[in-house]
Amino acid sequence: MTQDHLSALFSALADPTRRAILDRLAEGEATVKELAEPFDISAPAITKHLKVLQRAGLIKQERRAQWRPCRLDATPLRDVANWVERYRRFWEGSFDRLDRYLNTLQERERNRAGPKEPGD
Amino acid sequence: MTAGFERQAPVGDAVEASLPSDREIVVSRRFNAPRELVWAAWTHPEHIGNWWGPDGFTTTTEKMELRPGGEWRFVMHAPNGMNFQNYVRYSEVVEPERLVYLHGEDEERIDFEVTVTFVERDGATEVTLRQVDETPEARDRAIEEGGAIEGGKQTLDRLAGYLETMRS
Repeated sequence: MTQDHLSALFSALADPTRRAILDRLAEGEATVKELAEPFDISAPAITKHLKVLQRAGLIKQERRAQWRPCRLDATPLRDVANWVERYRRFWEGSFDRLDRYLNTLQERERNRAGPKEPGD
Repeated sequence: MTAGFERQAPVGDAVEASLPSDREIVVSRRFNAPRELVWAAWTHPEHIGNWWGPDGFTTTTEKMELRPGGEWRFVMHAPNGMNFQNYVRYSEVVEPERLVYLHGEDEERIDFEVTVTFVERDGATEVTLRQVDETPEARDRAIEEGGAIEGGKQTLDRLAGYLETMRS
């Protein structure tokens, strides 16, 4: 995935209408008309959104007969999600170990300090 | 599609990752320990080997020079026997509140810049780590690697499933 594709992906996701279109397509294929239905915007405006999503590799438009349904392709999102997830897992593992290690150090310190003598 | 890409990571016991921009990850965690101790765990060779890396990994420090321009060279030993050379060069060392460093395989291959902040609140320490891919190429490499790793894991999972059906 090149840097251009990444920028296209992020700007595609930056718009709430486009995110809603992706949510709808996550439920299954839809025609342009079906996608436009919930929104109070013009058909050309919807088409503009679809072009942005296509450029980002997030939707594919089938060329079946006249009705050309749109389909979601989640691969770009999965690749980015995997990238975030790897580092999240690395740090989660490290921070869990750090947490246990800090508790061990503090326990050792408490034991070294010993019980309080009467008169302290 | 959620606002997860825009939301700042809340601090808690779990590690949450957020994505403030297309080359940046933020992770945060609270620790029940004073800041000086958490700082020491990050900055002393005898401490850092006891927690750095996921479960099963051990870390050998070859050198750690805790100053701007100083280097931390270390090897991570994976549970499967593989060794990973690591290189860190510190750009900022502000005890006990901030570390900024570059991290990669060696001084020629820097993958990201990391900023770690340590904030004490009510006797606990919030550690926030911000990791920025050093170059678009480093970012693409990491994403492709991640895709390859996930792809590899899925292949292995499918193979494992197939072997199960063969057994029965």
